[in-house]
Amino acid sequence: MQRILQEAEEEQEEEEYDVLVIGGGIAGETASLDLADMGFKVLLVEKEPSIGGKMFLLSKVFPTLDCASCISTPRMAATAHHPNIKLLTYSEIQEIEKLGEGDFRVKILKKPRFVEESLCTGCGQCEQACPVIVPKEYDFGLRGRKAAYIPFDTAVPKIAVIDIDHCVFCGQCERACPVGAINFLQKPRIIKARVGAIIIATGYKLFPIEKKAEYMFKKLPNIITAMQMDRLLAPTRPYNAVLRPGDGKEPMNIAFILCSGSRDRTVGNPLCSQVCCMYSIKQAQLLMGALPLADITIYYMDIRAFGKGFEEFYQQAKAMGVMFIKGRVAKIEPGENGDVVVWYEDIENGGRLRKATHDLVVLSVGLLPNPEIVKAFKNVKLELDDYGWVKPRDENISPVETSIPGVFAAGCILGPKDIPDTVLEAEAAAAQAAAYLREVRRHG
Amino acid sequence: MSRRPVRRKLTVHMLRDKLGLKPSKELTDMLKRQTEIKVKITRALRKQPKTVPEIAEETGLDTYTVFWYLMTMFRHGQVEEAGKTDEGFFKYKLRER
Repeated sequence: MQRILQEAEEEQEEEEYDVLVIGGGIAGETASLDLADMGFKVLLVEKEPSIGGKMFLLSKVFPTLDCASCISTPRMAATAHHPNIKLLTYSEIQEIEKLGEGDFRVKILKKPRFVEESLCTGCGQCEQACPVIVPKEYDFGLRGRKAAYIPFDTAVPKIAVIDIDHCVFCGQCERACPVGAINFLQKPRIIKARVGAIIIATGYKLFPIEKKAEYMFKKLPNIITAMQMDRLLAPTRPYNAVLRPGDGKEPMNIAFILCSGSRDRTVGNPLCSQVCCMYSIKQAQLLMGALPLADITIYYMDIRAFGKGFEEFYQQAKAMGVMFIKGRVAKIEPGENGDVVVWYEDIENGGRLRKATHDLVVLSVGLLPNPEIVKAFKNVKLELDDYGWVKPRDENISPVETSIPGVFAAGCILGPKDIPDTVLEAEAAAAQAAAYLREVRRHG
Repeated sequence: MSRRPVRRKLTVHMLRDKLGLKPSKELTDMLKRQTEIKVKITRALRKQPKTVPEIAEETGLDTYTVFWYLMTMFRHGQVEEAGKTDEGFFKYKLRER
């Protein structure tokens, strides 16, 4: 792709919008829709081939157990079809320059899909024809996708993409496309825009748990992350049922290890990720529904059930039979027949070192900052806190304003948080961006 | 007199020729191995429905690899479920097309 991106052509004309929203997850969609409903022209830029972020990948949300994709999919469609929102997917912000109050110049790289967006019907015939299989990012590698692929069934926009880095140039996709949409001569474009305000909603990264070597992730096949477990429980799951990846067996004794890669100075992330306790309890409850005979154990340091209805949700899991063991897991070893042996300190029973065997282990991984957007700011500095999260101008009075007037932030770019808090911040950022623009334009 | 249709040059080949692109050896080796694995799994399932460990035993592949490819084939409509064993393994069979 790098070779092709060098051929990017810069467009001459500048497009004008009131607000640039960076990131098409639940925060970016909410902020865009709020602003668009107020009559502002919004440019929404998403680096992936589809909007949706991480929320639509989840099975259900806590503590209400509402279906995550039932909430996020209509919002994705509403965002894409709003007349005041221009959506750019598979695009990255290259440069942001502040020219004055309410005036930013932005350069955006639109990567080629090698598929004509106006022609593709999302039929998937290119995907069927493509011979190359690579791990599917949206299923966190639990199964494969083709090099020519539709990102996922409910992708918005539902347009195929050619992964040129894995393409063998066989031409099967181009021959199979019934509408002639495949176009390998498509070039990358640099789009220029002038915007009045910016909202950053680029979310978080998951902690790369392979850094914690004693947890054996990627060494033993029946150790997965909680995000992978959420995919296994989702209606759009990669398998036909909840099965362990090592051999396709239905797991009957599942363990969750909380604080995997958070509250842990040894891996450089001392912060609590705020959502791991509750998403693990959610998954435990869903597993008891999917696999009624399975034993579920949660190893924890302490349960942080701080939100509305969270404590009741925790108590409900206990009442359903989920076993909670207070103790940090020290190491993991391979067992027999693909099973996993967990060594832990049993704090509530005298602090003895014990071991237990499970047939599937889920690592409840923490959240890390995603501050890459900082590099795009050319003549102004976006300040970060000591841990790499975007620093609000004043956490108590204006939590969504950044160090740059006219640039706002919402969701997990500011720190780990759950979906309701993310949506709340997105709405606050939209309101503040609208107020900022009105103020600047009144004086301008 | 019937005329033979003119065969359009594919844009993928135009790009390949223009930029001198070709798949790496690593990629072509990977594709070769993938094709071999899919052929082995397909052959193993031709006679009767099987579980992942049964396919692994017959093909000499490890169970993780078999399951990963089987689920990719499942997603693309090439295999389907065919019952479940008491040990908690699903049986899979080739999907009739």
